Amino acid sequence: MKTLKFTFALLLCAILFSCSSNDDDNIAEDLSGQKGQLILKFDNGIGDQDFIFGTNYSKSNNESYKVDNLKYIISNIRIKDSQGNLVMYPEQDNAFIIDEAEANNAGEILLTLNNIDAADYTEITFGIGIDQERFALGANGQGNFLELAESKGMLWSWAAGYKFIRIDGTFSNDSVTDEPLNIHMGSVGSSLDNYREVTLSFTNTARIRQHTSPEVHIKSDISKVFDGITTINFADGYDQVHVDAVETPIVANNISGMFIVHHVHND
Amino acid sequence: MMNVLQNFRKITVLLLISITQAQFLSAHEKNRACNNHYKHTFFCDLCGCSTSSGSFGFGTLSNANFVGVRYLYQNFESKNGIFENSPISKEVFRTYQLWAQIPVIKTFYLSANVPYHDLSRTFNGITENISGLGDSSLIGWYKLIFYKKQNEETLNFDVKKEASGHSIQFGLGLKLPTGEFEERLADNINPGFQVGTGSTDGILSFGYNYGGNTLGVNTLFSYYLKGENKNEYQFGNQFSYTTNLYTALSTKKMNIMPFLGVSGDIYSSIKQYGETLNDTDGSIINASLGSEFAVEDFIFGASYTLPVNQNLFGHDVKSKQRISVYINYAL
Repeated sequence: MKTLKFTFALLLCAILFSCSSNDDDNIAEDLSGQKGQLILKFDNGIGDQDFIFGTNYSKSNNESYKVDNLKYIISNIRIKDSQGNLVMYPEQDNAFIIDEAEANNAGEILLTLNNIDAADYTEITFGIGIDQERFALGANGQGNFLELAESKGMLWSWAAGYKFIRIDGTFSNDSVTDEPLNIHMGSVGSSLDNYREVTLSFTNTARIRQHTSPEVHIKSDISKVFDGITTINFADGYDQVHVDAVETPIVANNISGMFIVHHVHND
Repeated sequence: MMNVLQNFRKITVLLLISITQAQFLSAHEKNRACNNHYKHTFFCDLCGCSTSSGSFGFGTLSNANFVGVRYLYQNFESKNGIFENSPISKEVFRTYQLWAQIPVIKTFYLSANVPYHDLSRTFNGITENISGLGDSSLIGWYKLIFYKKQNEETLNFDVKKEASGHSIQFGLGLKLPTGEFEERLADNINPGFQVGTGSTDGILSFGYNYGGNTLGVNTLFSYYLKGENKNEYQFGNQFSYTTNLYTALSTKKMNIMPFLGVSGDIYSSIKQYGETLNDTDGSIINASLGSEFAVEDFIFGASYTLPVNQNLFGHDVKSKQRISVYINYAL
């Protein structure tokens, strides 16, 4: 009986010992000079449904819409590490078009940021559209992005500038069926400033290291374009949004509320 | 005066019984397997040898000793994406297991479990496969058997101490990282798609058994203290419970022991690099139906388990069913 108790006590010790966390092995790693990748996964959805071209989605005011073209511009991406340092991705490479047509078979559009200082990152900030500063660089100052935007139909003309978001499709409501829907929102040259920025905290730390590329899964709720901060109705003229000084800022504000970081994968 | 005398007699009888009890403890032990009196003898009777680790239990409905093999077939469905309508992958987990309960001394025994896993998942028509030795576990058990109070009126000194049918057991054990943990798989929606966790876990268990003449109950509660593996990935601590209600039907050649069971698991969140990962906690409650067939020293068992209620990984993983088949040889 004594031996038995002793054996049990020993086993219990072994368990407690093996399960105690080794706090003392958290010696700060030396990350100096290490560079790594960060992958942003943009995943478009409508509420809790994955976005699919041609699907009829209902919105407020008894209206519905189908989309066959969905693109938006992301720029000025910067990330903050656990020490509070901000890392801005190099400016000349820091504008991207998120095009649903380029999504992988899981419906995700991957954006890879290379050569980032190894650190533990906790937050991301990015702009939707192109800011006035970049636009002021002129057509020649846009680098390859101008050509890309043009080929993707995300530019009106150099003078009118970029379309920050482009949604093409059809809509239906109580009075009409499958009428054209075109949301083309931008800053319209420099007459309006519809560039918006969002800052999103990571659900868990993105640990960028030489050989590990964390993935930040960003969910973009496209329904927020219509039912966002402000609810907009097709019946009120929001079926065709182009350069209007009243309509475009409302759409811009709605879009700034459509992103959340769903989770971060460290691999 | 009579009363005083009677009381004295009672005390003396009780004392005598207590003394004799100690002597009969070991003698009685072997017959105790279950409190059922079958026509032929087997040690691992219906109380024994059902289901396995985790919410499966560690192998025995009661405390019968055995060595055996078990085959487990499990189906899962996992959502590959963050949306309600994200595509589903289907997983099939097949496990071949060597398991045993080995007596050490009359109140102490060991249960051991060495699994081999063959896992496959199918997504978009492509099937991935991983197989290999899984995580083995070893648990030491201390068993406490309760005996019936002696009938004071009969004063039958010949009677051996009679088991009440109730017993409890305490288990302490370790789950060892004998299976390989592949980090690339940890990014899957179903983090259970691994042959091993790569961690050493502590297991604490408490069991209660009752074996009556027609009915028996077997209940086991286990708590797993999960360790962190070398990839700084730590599965969440787990509380498992299982209870089975069984009966026995005897024929000349065998005993048939059907059982009904409820089992479940409650998981804490997974941690990676010391951070809690969202939607990695959850719980599941299962209902089981099965039977054991005892023929001489062999026990054949089969059970079918269906989830009744589950919320695993934020509803991203669904357990579909579990089939268990085993053959044990009573020690």
